Amino acid sequence: MKNKERKGYFGDFGGQYVPETLMSPLEELEKAYLKLSKDTRFKKEVSYWLTNFVGRPTPLYYAKQLTAKTGGAKIYLKREDLTHTGAHKINNALGQALLAKHMGKKRLIAETGAGQHGVATATVAAALGMECIVYMGSVDIERQQPNVQRMKLLGAQVVPVNAGSKTLKDAINEAIRDWVTNIKSSHYLIGSVLGPHPYPTIVRDFQKIIGEEARKQIKQQEGRLPDYLVACVGGGSNSIGLFYDFLKEKKIKIIGVEAGGISIKSGKHAARFAGGRPGILHGTFSYVLQDKYGQITETHSISAGLDYPSIGPEHADLYRSKLVEYTHVTDEEALKAFMLLARTEGIIPALESSHAVAHAVKMAKKLPKNEIIIVNLSGRGDKDLAQAIYHIEKMKL
Amino acid sequence: MSNFSAAFKKSTSAGRPAFMPFLVAGDPDYNTGLAMFKAIVPYADMLEIGFPYSDPLADGPTIQAADERALRSGIDTDKVFSLISEIRSFFKGPISVLVYANLVYQYGIDNFYKQAAKSGIDGVLIPDVPHEESELFVKAAKKHKVSPVFMITQTTTDARLKKILQQAEGYLYLVSVLGVTGSRGSLGKETFDFIKRVKKQTTLPLALGFGISSKEHIDNAAKAGIDGVIVGSAIIKILEANLSNPVQAAKETEAFIKELV
Ligand SMILES: Cc1ncc(COP(=O)(O)O)c(C=O)c1O
Repeated sequence: MKNKERKGYFGDFGGQYVPETLMSPLEELEKAYLKLSKDTRFKKEVSYWLTNFVGRPTPLYYAKQLTAKTGGAKIYLKREDLTHTGAHKINNALGQALLAKHMGKKRLIAETGAGQHGVATATVAAALGMECIVYMGSVDIERQQPNVQRMKLLGAQVVPVNAGSKTLKDAINEAIRDWVTNIKSSHYLIGSVLGPHPYPTIVRDFQKIIGEEARKQIKQQEGRLPDYLVACVGGGSNSIGLFYDFLKEKKIKIIGVEAGGISIKSGKHAARFAGGRPGILHGTFSYVLQDKYGQITETHSISAGLDYPSIGPEHADLYRSKLVEYTHVTDEEALKAFMLLARTEGIIPALESSHAVAHAVKMAKKLPKNEIIIVNLSGRGDKDLAQAIYHIEKMKL
Repeated sequence: MSNFSAAFKKSTSAGRPAFMPFLVAGDPDYNTGLAMFKAIVPYADMLEIGFPYSDPLADGPTIQAADERALRSGIDTDKVFSLISEIRSFFKGPISVLVYANLVYQYGIDNFYKQAAKSGIDGVLIPDVPHEESELFVKAAKKHKVSPVFMITQTTTDARLKKILQQAEGYLYLVSVLGVTGSRGSLGKETFDFIKRVKKQTTLPLALGFGISSKEHIDNAAKAGIDGVIVGSAIIKILEANLSNPVQAAKETEAFIKELV
C-alpha cells in the first residue's frame, strides 16, 4: 500500500489497520516505548532480567555430530531452547511486560499458538506480579497440552477460542477484542513481529539480541562471520531476531523457512510467500493467505507456531527487496529433522525449529566443509512430544 | 442535498433519531437475507449492511456468527453488491455498508467504490481503516461520489476528531462503548457525555451504534443529542434464534422494531 508519509511502514508493508478505539492506546504505547528504549535505567532493568531470569546469553553450539552425519557445511545452533521457558518468546514477553508495567498496566493479554508465547507471558506476569489472560485456539489447546497446563499452573487464565480455524489467527482476533474492551487496564502483549505499528518494531527490538549474541559468539569460535543464517518463520520473531544484526552483511545468505505443511499444491500449508499475496490482517499490510475476494483461508502445519496465514510486515519487505530468501519445508521433513537432531545431538527441538533444522541439513549437504551455517534453534520440543510421536508412527517415519 | 442529509432532516423534523437497522448481507443465505431486509425497510430511515468477513475483529459473537453463516452459504463480495442492487429497487433511503479493509483492497480499491456507487450504496465505513490509513480509500470514495463514513470512539481525542472531520461525509458513527459489537444491558453516562462532546464540534449528523438494543437506549441517546441509532446484534439475535423458520424470524424482528421506533 503506497502510503509513504505514514509511520510504521517497512517499504510498502506495515501500517495501522485497526479500529479507531485502538489508535490512542497504540499512540500511548509508541510514546512510552520511544522514551523507555532510550532510558539507561530501563535498559539495565531489561538486561538484569535477561541475564538472571531468562539465562542469557544462550550458547552458540557447534553441532559436530550432525555436521559429520550431513557431510557438508558446519552447522551451528543458536540455543534459544535453553532460555527459561524453552523458547525465544520470553525475550519479547519480558521486554514488553516491563514496558507495560512502566506504563501502569496491570493486566497482560496474550494470544498463543504453540503455547510458548503464552507460557512466556504467564511466566513474566507471575514474576512481575501482573494479571495474565491467554487466548488459544481449541485446536492448539489440543495439540499443545503441556503448555496449557504450564500456563494454568503459573496462574494465567487460558481462554479457548472456537471461532474460525480455532488456531493462532482466531486467538489473535479474540485478544484484540479483549484489548478493545479493556484498553485502560490492559496491555496487549503480542507474541511476534505482527500487528499494527509499533508492535513489529518493538518485538524485533526485543528479539534482535539473538543475532547480536550470535555475531560475537561465531567470531570467538570461528574468528569470522557465518556464510548462512537459517530460521523458521511463523509470525517472524525468532527469524528477525537472528537476522536483524546481519542484514547489512551483503555476503551472508539469509534464509527464512515457512511451514510447507502437506504440500503447496494441496493448499494445506502456511507458506505465505509461496501461496499468498499482499493484504491486510490483524492491523498490518503484509503477505496473506486468502481467497480471491480476500477472505482469509485456513492454514495447515504440524507446528502450531507456524500455522498462521500472515507474516510480519518487515519480512514482506525483506522478501520484496530480496535481502532474505524464503523457502518452505513439509510436515514430514520437519518430523524427520526432529528425530535426527534428537538422535545425533541429544537435543529435542520444537517442531517449529525443526523446520529450520530440516532446511539447514538439506543445504549443508551441498556445501563445502569450510562454510558455516547458523540455525536458530528457537525452542525445545518437550511440548511437541505427544503430537510428534503420533505423527511419526502414523507416517511410519 | 445528499441522500443522508435528507434522511436525517426528515427524522429530525419528526422529532426522533433516524432508525438504521444493521444486517449482514446474505445471513443466513441470499434469499432469506433479502426477505429480512424486506421485513425491516418499512421501519428504516436508512440501512446499514455488513459484508461478511472471515475475521471481523471489531465484532462480537453475534455478528461473527452471522458472518460465518453468510460465508458458509457462499456469499462473496460480488453477491453482496447484487443483493444491495435488489434492495435498492424497493428501498429509497440511504444505504451505508460496513466492510473490512482487506475485502476492499482485494476487490481493487477504486473498483470497489465504483461498484458500490453502481449498486446504489451511499456510504462506506471500513472499521479497520483509521483516518491515518484512509488516503487511498477516501480518494476513491470521492471520485465515485460515495460518502466515506468514519467511526469515532470515546478514546478519540479532540485533535484526532478534527482530522477525521476533514474527511468524513454522510454522518459520524459514534461507537457507544469501548468494546466490540453486541447488545448490552445499559448505556452509561460516559456515552452521553461522549455524544455531547462530539455534538459541539460538528454539524455532521451523529449516529450511535454498538450495543443499542432497547427503546430506553434510544430515548436517552436522543436526549443527549444523537441524530440516528444503529441497531445490529439485537436484530440478528432474533434471526439467529429462528434460523429454521425464516417467516417467524421476519415476524419477530418486525415486532421488535415496532417497539423501538
Ligand atoms: C519455538 C518456536 N519457534 C518459532 C515460533 C514461530 O514464531 P516466530 O516466527 O515469531 O518466531 C514459535 C511460535 O509459537 C515457537 O514457539
